Amino acid sequence: MRGVLCLIVFIMLIIPKEAFAQDMVALETQVKELTQMVMGLKTTVDMQQREITELKKTYEIKYQPPVPQPPPQPTPLPAKFTPEIGAVADIVAKFDSPKNPAFDEDYINQVDVRELELVLGSNVDPYSRLDATIAFSEKEGVCLEEAYLTRFDLPFGTTARVGRFLPRIGKAIPVHRDSLDTVDEPLVIQRYFGEEGMSKTGVDLTKTLDLPMPSVHQVTIGVLEGGNGEGGTAFGPARKRPTLYGHIKNYLDITDVTNFELGVSDAIGSNDNDASFKVNVLGLDATLRHIIGQDQEVKLQGETYYMNRREEAVSMDDGAGNFFTISNPGGDFWGGYGLFDVRLSSRWGTGLRVDYVQPVDRLTDGDNFNKAEVGITGYLTFYQSEFARLRAQISHTVFTTGGEDNRIFLQGTFAIGEHKHKLQ
Amino acid sequence: MIKSKSLTILFGIAFLCSALYMTPCGAAEGQLKVVATQTMYADIVKEIGKDKVDVKYVAQPKFNVHFIQPKPSDVRNVSKADLYVNAGLDLEAWSDPLLEAAGKSDLFRGRERNVDMSRGVRLLDVPDHQLSRAEGDIHLYGNPHYTMNPENVVVMAGNILEKLKTIDPANAAYYEENEKAFVARLEDKIAEWRKLCNPCKGQEVISYHKDIAYFADFVGLKAEQYIEVKPGIPPTPKHLEFLEEYVKAHNIKAIVMPTYYPKDAADKLAARVGAKVVTICQNVGELPGTDNVFSFFDYNFKQISDALK
Repeated sequence: MRGVLCLIVFIMLIIPKEAFAQDMVALETQVKELTQMVMGLKTTVDMQQREITELKKTYEIKYQPPVPQPPPQPTPLPAKFTPEIGAVADIVAKFDSPKNPAFDEDYINQVDVRELELVLGSNVDPYSRLDATIAFSEKEGVCLEEAYLTRFDLPFGTTARVGRFLPRIGKAIPVHRDSLDTVDEPLVIQRYFGEEGMSKTGVDLTKTLDLPMPSVHQVTIGVLEGGNGEGGTAFGPARKRPTLYGHIKNYLDITDVTNFELGVSDAIGSNDNDASFKVNVLGLDATLRHIIGQDQEVKLQGETYYMNRREEAVSMDDGAGNFFTISNPGGDFWGGYGLFDVRLSSRWGTGLRVDYVQPVDRLTDGDNFNKAEVGITGYLTFYQSEFARLRAQISHTVFTTGGEDNRIFLQGTFAIGEHKHKLQ
Repeated sequence: MIKSKSLTILFGIAFLCSALYMTPCGAAEGQLKVVATQTMYADIVKEIGKDKVDVKYVAQPKFNVHFIQPKPSDVRNVSKADLYVNAGLDLEAWSDPLLEAAGKSDLFRGRERNVDMSRGVRLLDVPDHQLSRAEGDIHLYGNPHYTMNPENVVVMAGNILEKLKTIDPANAAYYEENEKAFVARLEDKIAEWRKLCNPCKGQEVISYHKDIAYFADFVGLKAEQYIEVKPGIPPTPKHLEFLEEYVKAHNIKAIVMPTYYPKDAADKLAARVGAKVVTICQNVGELPGTDNVFSFFDYNFKQISDALK
């Protein structure tokens, strides 16, 4: 080891000093060149690395490997063999100012479940559907409001209903009372057809006409059992004498958000057990609807009914014990209403209804039979949600007897389960 | 004598009023008549069927599709339709009554001429418990707002193609070719939209309604709180106070909502916390410049990426 060290020292001593300096310079130059080269390569590698990263990102975005998923399955639908079942509770509080002594107990202040409707419906088979509405009421017990079969795909594109249903007469009668804009039916409907409108057993056929025009025309004709709804006076009480009815709906989209509907209805029936058709009720309805926004809408609706009656000769008491006979106590009567309804927002709505009706029943109304009943109704509705609604209504009515009445209603309507309203 | 004369006159007047507006309308000869419940479905049908189809839609795009009231003109259109395209599930509660009013049973749910666009879509928010209306306006089968994710449009296009081929086999090749071109364009755009939304990934937003689920899924957003107290239940002051604290605590930059809900609650919250209110469309054609599937998604993704930059 000592020998090797001595050799190195000897070599260093014998190498000339200049030559050593030159070597050092050359070495330094080489190191500098190599350093520059390495730096250059590093820059290149960095750039390439960045490009690779970008490309990778793009590749990953565009060609993201598919996430393993189960094969597409049909959308899970419920077991539909159970019918759609829903219930609607209609709770009404009524505060009255009875100035007319003729009012019965219905006119005193009260709170009751006016109706609890059980609504059932389902397809029977590929061609038909069964719908039923059973109403439970504190006062009237149980009532079958509707139970009818709808048969689709009949010849000429007609659809038939068979059973007990709300006939397509005008605008208010085909709607359940809990779905009206007001707490109660318009006076003309109450007086002529019944307090709740009219639901009758029968059969009707409906067809939407295929005409080359932008307006839509739908025709309905039907045969119903005779009679009215509860408290109605248009037809006689005999159910076996049928009522024939027809309705034409004429509809036009004026713009995307404004539309107009004009309907004509006619119902011909009997006022007693006689089979002849002595009562003709002709109806005209018009609705102008304008949608302002998602939850804002204005509706102007009116219905009028003109009634022609041919009654049998009637013997009457003049009040002094003298009887006299009226050969044709029938005649012409008419009534109608106008409704202005505004949906202000998702939660609030309000409106006004004006009523006019000439009563039919002269025996009840005595000498005032040709006078009219008039009323004005205002309401405010709060929509708690899609399924719960609260309404306050005030009505002022002037009766044919000269009496006046002010009534305040508070109504709560609550729905559970499945309850799809039929299109009107 | 019943007043049949006056009756006849009135009926005549009704028809005359309608005749005043009389102009020819309807599909050209040989075209399939298609009624779609929503504008997006109508646009996809047009892309695939092109000149072989005449498409009409029910729901005006500027309104919430859940609360549409079909009109007699919709009933007429459906009664004449060869194909009915709808969302399936339970979004369009008015769809079954519309079909029943039209009375053409082969268009009914589950029948051969009814296209359920939700078929094959990977549904979100599928309930895992017994539902109650106490939870608000919830959906039985899962979140039905699947049109907000462009990847689902590919599935929907497949559903339409399948039905068009079935009811019009003579033009099957034509429909296939159009669908292929449409999906190819869509896939290119999906890549573009992903790139645009990449910076939004992982960020949290507040939404007005739970209709953002599929949109958030595509963008990679987190959306757990809503302006509505519960689905379908408008906000209360107390709920807005809670959201104010939540937004501050989670450093949320954007409140996302469709055009048709009232904007005041979102504006109020945004002003308090310094967030932006981002309006996105739910329907094709809801706003000017969103009149087809591509411009609809272009608009929506630009809105969110601009807000969350």
